[in-house]
Amino acid sequence: MTLTAMIAKMSEGLGRTCAIFFLTLLFSLPLGLLVALMRMSKNKVLSSVTSACISVLRGTPLMLQLIAVAYGPFYLFGYTLLVKEKLLAIIIAFSLNYAAYFAEIYRGGIESMPVGQYEAAHVLGYSKHQTFMRIIMPQVVKRILPSVTNEVITLVKDTSLAFTLAYMEMFSIGKQIANSQSSFLPFVIAGVFYYVMNMIVAFVMSRCEKALSYYR
Amino acid sequence: MNILKIAHCRKQFDGKEVLSDISLTVDEGQVVSIIGPSGSGKSTLLRCATLLETMDGGALRYLGKSAVRDENGRAVYASHAELKEIRTCFGLVFQNFNLFPHYSVLKNITEAPMLIQKRNKAEVYETARDLLKKMGLADREDAYPYQLSGGQQQRVSIARALAMKPKMLFFDEPTSALDPELTGEILKVIRDLAAEHMTMVIVTHEMAFARDVSDHVLFMDGGVIVEQGNPEDIINNPSQERTIQFLSRFN
Amino acid sequence: MKKLLAAILVMMFALIACASAEETVFKMGIDAEYPPYSYMGDDGQYTGYDVEMCAKVCEILGWTQEVVPINWDTKLIQLDAGEMDCIWSGLTIDVIDPEAYSISMAYSDNSQMILTKKGSGIEALADVAGKRVGVQLGTSADILLSDGGDAADFGATFGELVRYENYNIAFTELMAGAIDAVAIDIGVANGKIAEYGDDYYCVAEPFAAEKYGICFRKADAEMCKQVEDAFMQLVEDGTYISLAEKYGLDTANLCLAK
Repeated sequence: MTLTAMIAKMSEGLGRTCAIFFLTLLFSLPLGLLVALMRMSKNKVLSSVTSACISVLRGTPLMLQLIAVAYGPFYLFGYTLLVKEKLLAIIIAFSLNYAAYFAEIYRGGIESMPVGQYEAAHVLGYSKHQTFMRIIMPQVVKRILPSVTNEVITLVKDTSLAFTLAYMEMFSIGKQIANSQSSFLPFVIAGVFYYVMNMIVAFVMSRCEKALSYYR
Repeated sequence: MNILKIAHCRKQFDGKEVLSDISLTVDEGQVVSIIGPSGSGKSTLLRCATLLETMDGGALRYLGKSAVRDENGRAVYASHAELKEIRTCFGLVFQNFNLFPHYSVLKNITEAPMLIQKRNKAEVYETARDLLKKMGLADREDAYPYQLSGGQQQRVSIARALAMKPKMLFFDEPTSALDPELTGEILKVIRDLAAEHMTMVIVTHEMAFARDVSDHVLFMDGGVIVEQGNPEDIINNPSQERTIQFLSRFN
Repeated sequence: MKKLLAAILVMMFALIACASAEETVFKMGIDAEYPPYSYMGDDGQYTGYDVEMCAKVCEILGWTQEVVPINWDTKLIQLDAGEMDCIWSGLTIDVIDPEAYSISMAYSDNSQMILTKKGSGIEALADVAGKRVGVQLGTSADILLSDGGDAADFGATFGELVRYENYNIAFTELMAGAIDAVAIDIGVANGKIAEYGDDYYCVAEPFAAEKYGICFRKADAEMCKQVEDAFMQLVEDGTYISLAEKYGLDTANLCLAK
């Protein structure tokens, strides 16, 4: 197999890798905020249940969670949709896992906000919702951006875990070529792909940070 | 007509009484200063009055409208909607300014009047620019809080409170977070407001300022009003031992 | 006339639709990293001895073959869940529970060999004692040599049994001298020797003999029977052996040809 053939074959999987990446971000970022709010809820039951879920999601390997999401419902209820729709199972597992991490980042950001910001908004008559959306959240976003960047870069690399469900994303194809051709070249190609993707992520995130650097 | 009326306000923190039976009335155009050592409860009183802290017992009324009423010694708060309306009666200037750092000076001042009070944009901007001019910050409307000195930030926060057209203003140690050379500009702004007969309650450590600007001075210690009255009398000739002790530290 | 034509057209379409709906798709689950049995060919399509045999079987049965690469670690779960109809990829059937699955006849002996490099001083199985031996995790060599396996006693003589995610890495380590030998299926071993050259050789005597077969869900015994029958036709017509030669497999292992 020529180098170009390898790259072409692996590029076919790149679309799937990107699908995992973007869909996971699309769902886990808002879900993470929801989870963070549930975690900080005054309702003791809600907050401790959420806290336990976060603990499990962060405390077990994503690989296990992938298997649990795809095959758990099948063994328990004979439900085969997640087995047949691999991408769906992967997006559910990835989104839950990343939402747990994002939730803790959001929580850290929200809890680091000085109470004075809430009080100033309160006295001016802002509702809870207005305070959160207009005063707190924009500042939280700026504060948490570096940590979010870290997670997003990790996510790029974690997409390769989809091989657990035999989903033919870029790295799984690379491994197959490597073993068929007894060549390490596919791993080099995979490394280059991941590095380029992360360069793009780093570039976009630094643009975001710059866009928010107009205030301190 | 009195604007603010606090009756028999009580407040505990973890079983420790920080306010016991405080009553206070503020008339229109009156300037009241509250002095006292730290931990005396003066800031807590201010926070109860501005609804940032809930009181355990007592009553609170603005312009005759009840925010808190006393029911068998327990404080009962008015409905959410009523409190929202009552909150428009007063403004509060914080010790640490608490400007919104992600908003420009102009947006800090104009957002609440437009968003909360649904006032006309052109009118709000005109009001805001007039206030900035009065505060000597006409050329800084596009600046962000971090680009301003502490004194300038505090002036913006006073403008922010005034833009809501409140019936009265509270000041919570407005100069305590400032470098000594910057306190003068804030005190001057408050003096100007007093000259315009703005109703104000000021918690402060500036004794000379309190004496000069206010109509009435309260000395608080240990959660009670120890002594109150005419500023000259309280600050120059206090009658209570605790007041004398406290004031001696400032001379 | 036009109406008649239209009616005929509609019927034809309906027939075509029916025909395609009745077409049986046979999903074969493979480990796509297991040459020469199942792997990705130079053209990027899955190929190998098992893949091509399956294609011939499907041809006979009039089925459409679909190759499904699976995760070898979760192969039985994936089979249970219906992701594919069978596991057909150098699968050692000795370790599969016949009570729980429908298993085909064995189509190949699978001798387990010790492959080593010139200069290792390993000439017989006894020489492996104290040496570092690599295997691919979860392969029959691994299962046999590990505690509870049929060749566990032999495995216990090793200095260390090193488990790799795939044989590619094991061979790199063998070349680099990090391990002394690799325990491996004979078919894969011959493929590797053909690829890497004369410096590599197998110890003549296998340390275990296993059998390759095809695994179906328990309920699919009928399908298993159909595949077996078609497979036997390929044994009869010689495809069985000619394909093995094409993929460099040791024809001595082709137990159905005997």
